[in-house]
Amino acid sequence: MIEVKNLSKHYRLTEKSPGLSGAFKSLFAPKRVTKKAVDDIGFQIESGEMVGYIGANGAGKSTTIKMLCGILTPTTGEILVDGIVPYKERNRNAKNIGAVFGQRSQLFWDIAVRESYDLLKHIYDIPEDEYRKTLQMFTEVLELEPLLGTPVRQLSLGQKMRCELAAAFLHNPGIVYLDEPTIGLDVAVKSRIRQFIKEMNRMRGTTVILTTHDMQDIEEICSRIIIIDAGKVLYDGSLQSIKDRYGDKRVIHFELELEEEFQLPPDLAGKAEWTPGETGTVSVAFSNHVITAADVISEMLRKYRIRDLTISDSKIETIVQDIYCRGI
Amino acid sequence: MRKYWEMMKSQIKLDTAYTAWYWAGSASVIFRMLIIYAFWHAVFENRTTVGDMSLQAMITYTMLATLLNNYMSGVGSQLANQVRDGSVAIELMRPYNLLDKLVALDLGSKISGTIRETLPMLLIAYLFLGVSAPASWEAVPMFLLSALLGILIGTQLDLIIGIMAFWLDYVWGLRVLGGAITLFFTGALVPITLFPEWLRVLSGFMPFQSMVFVPVSIYTGQLSGLVALQALGVQLAWLVGIIVVMRTVWSFAIRKVTIFGG
Repeated sequence: MIEVKNLSKHYRLTEKSPGLSGAFKSLFAPKRVTKKAVDDIGFQIESGEMVGYIGANGAGKSTTIKMLCGILTPTTGEILVDGIVPYKERNRNAKNIGAVFGQRSQLFWDIAVRESYDLLKHIYDIPEDEYRKTLQMFTEVLELEPLLGTPVRQLSLGQKMRCELAAAFLHNPGIVYLDEPTIGLDVAVKSRIRQFIKEMNRMRGTTVILTTHDMQDIEEICSRIIIIDAGKVLYDGSLQSIKDRYGDKRVIHFELELEEEFQLPPDLAGKAEWTPGETGTVSVAFSNHVITAADVISEMLRKYRIRDLTISDSKIETIVQDIYCRGI
Repeated sequence: MRKYWEMMKSQIKLDTAYTAWYWAGSASVIFRMLIIYAFWHAVFENRTTVGDMSLQAMITYTMLATLLNNYMSGVGSQLANQVRDGSVAIELMRPYNLLDKLVALDLGSKISGTIRETLPMLLIAYLFLGVSAPASWEAVPMFLLSALLGILIGTQLDLIIGIMAFWLDYVWGLRVLGGAITLFFTGALVPITLFPEWLRVLSGFMPFQSMVFVPVSIYTGQLSGLVALQALGVQLAWLVGIIVVMRTVWSFAIRKVTIFGG
């Protein structure tokens, strides 16, 4: 369904020196720097897959999505979405995709939600009876009934996002890109949105590409994740295997009463690694296969006075955090 | 075609959503018309003609020009804003041509503007400000056609300035400059016939006089018969030329799109 090969996108930015004089300087002799937002990435996504596309802020997620949508032209590399090169045939590609950008509304701000949907019906040439059936179903699942007559600007964030989601799936697209669809939403709305996405995938076989910072989204929706960092793919594989691979890793955060500089107790050397945190705190990372948490704690207790400790378990959240910070 | 038609209708619906905005717009036009009325009455205090125009001809010209000039700004600023805040990205994901959409929206708002603003104003102008009737019966259809062409030229020029945002990011300064130039060279402020010779020749080579001066002069009868038809032809040529330029600029702009935000 989606094929990406050696894809790169470079931006040319103007770097401004600080201060007023710098502002003037860049007016006459702008200093250009190249930023590699996406740097030689490649992956393949099959029809009906639900893929989490994750990475820290600025990792290049949105840039990739925009290239897949045909909004951005890649600097180099190839993209094929359902047999179409998106940036060459933007309109044809557009008919087959839907998208939600959590940070931006794509409904018409000033008119009632229902009117927005009506307009989408014409824009995507949705047959009348199909449109009515789909809208009715969405109205039930997402509980849109009381919202349909309201202008978008009067909706709360959660209401708006439910409406946005319905808009993205309305024309039954083969692929839907969801860029942080749950950002800023409460737990109940998040869960409803996740249910809806899974339901759409099950009923219509929609391919879903999801970017999010909420690992709960990933865990509930996606079976596969692609992690990118600084424009490069760090990991591409099933959610389960990343858990198997890194799931044995555990971290204990100690709050210590330190009198001198911290040193790892000798019995832990080679079995665990430590990183300093804020003053007086130390994080000790180790693998379950090598040493147990109880042993780590007792070794630490023998050498230091511990005020408090917390154990991070191996949720995808901590795994990903770990990968962001330290690499794969 | 159907989708653009629906977009135009949605714009008309949207316009009805903001009534306060609408009344503020009408008030400012009435105010401007009164100022112009007073100004030309003062100018004609001690004379009967300026150039070769009588007071009534001048009032008729300037009132119509003011009303017509109202149509000259349009969706260019909307496009520029969308480029600047990046929301043009979402527009480009839709299966339509954004330019066509903008033109459809523009027509929508101009239609609702005509019904709610221009027609009532025109009535006021006829009843209270001494605006004369069209010069002749055949001037009416010619005026309407010419005004439509002029408005379309204005829309396209406005869009070109909007497209410039792809390169300049911020086009406010350009808009102000463009506004000043067009206000003068369209003949919306004073009839071009009052310009000094060299300026008149110069504006003959520019598209601006097709926007206001030509249609209003057809109405007042200063342009009639064959000359008027010729002027219509020139308008049409400008419109086609500007559309071609704009579409070309647009295709470059699209290739250049760089939208930031993660």
